[in-house]
Amino acid sequence: MTSGDAPTWKVPPRWVLLVAVLSIVAAEVGGGAMARYKVELTRWARAGMQARPEVHGLVGVRDVDERILDEALVKFDAGLRLFHMHAEGMGLVIIATSMVAATVIPSPAASRAIIALLTAGGAGYPVGYLVWSALIPSYGLERAKALAEWLVWVPFGSATIVALWCLVGLVAWSMLARRRA
Amino acid sequence: MTNAGPGAAGSFLIMSATVTRPPLAVVLVALVMLALGETAGAAMSRLKPAIQRYAAARVAANPAAHGFSGSPEYDDEVRERAIFTAEAGLSFFHLHGEGVGLVLFFASTLVAARVPRRRARGVLYLLLVSGGLFPLGYLAYGTAALELGRDAGIELAERWILAPLGVSAIAGLAGLWLALARRRA
Repeated sequence: MTSGDAPTWKVPPRWVLLVAVLSIVAAEVGGGAMARYKVELTRWARAGMQARPEVHGLVGVRDVDERILDEALVKFDAGLRLFHMHAEGMGLVIIATSMVAATVIPSPAASRAIIALLTAGGAGYPVGYLVWSALIPSYGLERAKALAEWLVWVPFGSATIVALWCLVGLVAWSMLARRRA
Repeated sequence: MTNAGPGAAGSFLIMSATVTRPPLAVVLVALVMLALGETAGAAMSRLKPAIQRYAAARVAANPAAHGFSGSPEYDDEVRERAIFTAEAGLSFFHLHGEGVGLVLFFASTLVAARVPRRRARGVLYLLLVSGGLFPLGYLAYGTAALELGRDAGIELAERWILAPLGVSAIAGLAGLWLALARRRA
């Protein structure tokens, strides 16, 4: 196989690469900030929860309240860690999958639609973890999770999953078409 | 990088206008792993109660495999550990599906771009694709823990699926490293 007949990748549009790299950068910054400002973030979340005792079911008994606050703070921290992890991973997923879409899908309209879904879904989904963490002090664990789920995780996650399975189908179709030709 | 394809001679890379891609079958396996990983993540979140109910039902259907003693406290603990293992299997599948899918995608692209010999590329694709199936071992891990008992299920998945596929991935990556090192030399 030489350079002339070897199949090659097509680079996805520049805005897609910018979004993907931005997602990775945000993840890196988030990871660094989590470590650097851990105490400040915990203090902020704790103060927010103590300011809304009815939302968190705080009863004014130290032993009971501390357990509730600890559980909420663990979830608050988990949200930040999951943002860090997912934003890094999804940035790479956007680059890889949009390269496949740009290369393999013959119809420009279908290619654009799938790339848009992959990029929006991949970059938006991890933000749900930030939203979840940010909302915990104000809305409590369950309400914050429900809000993040319906505002971010379900729409953006569904976009990614639908686009990925469409891409799988189109790659399989393309393989079959090449075999027949 | 002046990527002039796998047969080209060049001592170092700067930037590429064209990067050679691996066969579509390899790309398809990577994409399927990514898609399965994503879907498993969504299922873990949205279907958690249903998954726990299913796991509890499978444990109840295999009491001998789980060594139930008839003591409610002991049996409850065994059941909870088995359900936790099944959920952990799904969680590992989500995590590894995403990660290994990307590893397969980028490693096979490097093979396509930088390994000149067709036969060597074929062997590396085979090893990497087998390694790309590694996350499926975690589905087997969760299922076998419910059907065969926690320890026997984990042992089966680790010995017969995770270890061979993991070794294949490592061999593929090591082969790629050697091929790249030989080209530089």
